[in-house]
Amino acid sequence: MAVAAATAATRGNGGGGSRAGAGEASSARKKRGPGPLATAYLVIYNVVMTAGWLVIAVGLVRAYLAKGSYHSLYYSIEKPLKFFQTGALLEILHCAIGIVPSSVVLTSFQVMSRVFLIWAVTHSVKEVQSEDSVLLFVIAWTITEIIRYSFYTFSLLNHLPYLIKWARYTLFIVLYPMGVAGELLTIYAALPFVRQAGLYSISLPNKYNFSFDYYTFLILIMISYIPLFPQLYFHMIHQRRKVLSYTEEHKKFE
Amino acid sequence: MKHYEVEILDAKTREKLCFLDKVEPHATIAEIKNLFTKSHPQWYPARQSLRLDPKGKSLKDEEVLQKLPVGTTATLYFRDLGAQISWVTVFLTEYAGPLFIYLLFYFRVPFIYGHKYDFTSSRHTVVHLACICHSFHYIKRLLETLFVHRFSHGTMPLRNIFKNCTYYWGFAAWMAYYINHPLYTPPTYGAQQVKLALAIFVVCQLGNFSIHMALRDLRPAGSKTRKIPYPTKNPFTWLFLLVSCPNYTYEVGSWIGFAIMTQCLPVALFSLVGFTQMTIWAKGKHRSYLKEFRDYPPLRMPIVPFLL
Repeated sequence: MAVAAATAATRGNGGGGSRAGAGEASSARKKRGPGPLATAYLVIYNVVMTAGWLVIAVGLVRAYLAKGSYHSLYYSIEKPLKFFQTGALLEILHCAIGIVPSSVVLTSFQVMSRVFLIWAVTHSVKEVQSEDSVLLFVIAWTITEIIRYSFYTFSLLNHLPYLIKWARYTLFIVLYPMGVAGELLTIYAALPFVRQAGLYSISLPNKYNFSFDYYTFLILIMISYIPLFPQLYFHMIHQRRKVLSYTEEHKKFE
Repeated sequence: MKHYEVEILDAKTREKLCFLDKVEPHATIAEIKNLFTKSHPQWYPARQSLRLDPKGKSLKDEEVLQKLPVGTTATLYFRDLGAQISWVTVFLTEYAGPLFIYLLFYFRVPFIYGHKYDFTSSRHTVVHLACICHSFHYIKRLLETLFVHRFSHGTMPLRNIFKNCTYYWGFAAWMAYYINHPLYTPPTYGAQQVKLALAIFVVCQLGNFSIHMALRDLRPAGSKTRKIPYPTKNPFTWLFLLVSCPNYTYEVGSWIGFAIMTQCLPVALFSLVGFTQMTIWAKGKHRSYLKEFRDYPPLRMPIVPFLL
């Protein structure tokens, strides 16, 4: 064990200004992490969220078996999907009050983009709900979230099975592009209906001297994926190398 | 007199970049930077950050070698700050952009509002008044940058100019588009609203200028000394009794005046974003005043009297 700690220390320094290794991060959390009450709350939150996304997964499988077709499965899980994805807004609050040590800006960005897609695109443009692209991102999100929330739950309880850690830092390689593809195709499918209905758009003249074109806004959103997606994807690959390689070394010494 | 030896290592790789023997004990960091540039011309002094510890604070240019906690062989760690650009250049580009861009919309140059509106003029008086106010504001800023401000830090990273220009130019275009739009709706309460807004705007512009002059007089040319600013004979500077950064208070006031005058939502948003940014700066300045001066007036708040 002492050897493992020493390896962790050398890794931390040898990384040349990189952030602390996983081992150090978890010991830091023990020192100045959330108090017992906050930990209890976070465990409950993460258990509920894991369960919620499991409900969605089971709902998808059952509907598929009942129908024998994968088209329009969205309607069978619409309510839990909206509820639990919206519930992720609490994660922003957790970061803001400091019981979770992640960046508020980054978390808000990730959560808001999904909440936006659920409410401002899929919910608002009924015509896209039966598109297969919706199913594409729903499946990607569901698997990602089940693993992510169980990862948090087990980490909080200090019993993280390697399989879950591995899955969290591996499955994204396929799931992340899959989700992005689903999201982009869904927005693209919504464009003509948004234009036709003038959805969420404000036109001049009005006394606030302001106009808004939701159609153009959606196109800008799609364009913003171009610089953002590779950045996040390679960040995750980098994280994977750091977290998983550390664990392998750690195991050798135990 | 004994000479010092100075070795300069790369803060990241610990690679030895330069060895200076026979350095005068009273040499300043600025002078060491100049010596370092001779062997590495790509790193001009403003780009260099020298520190005693690889992850520590940068040493100030005016610090003297023999007063640093080092032996006769000093090891300094170098970090490249990236390409630098002078504050004056940044400010001039930042402010010239909005001035010019606003006028493009005011004169309705082609490809903005449709062919039939090319080079037409708005029938609302407030639109012309707004153009005068907006232009006046940026001309004032440009002249202040050239003739009033004294910059304590000579340079900033080059990438700042892209960030800052996107902000100023982008917002200017967004606001100008609506204010000069052929479908512009004049203020709800008519001339009364415009008059009140103009009064706020003018007072705040005068106030902002007065504060800039007071700050200039506080610091003699070429010196880096810092003093507590106090109200002068000019009544506009009396706001120093209540806030640490009245120049920001007046600047936000000017934009609120402009927002009321034009009754345009993007202007209100620009005021809000500007207010947020200036509050952050004002809090930093306020904190450094409190740290530096024990007898700092306790009544003062950073930017909003009694509140913030």
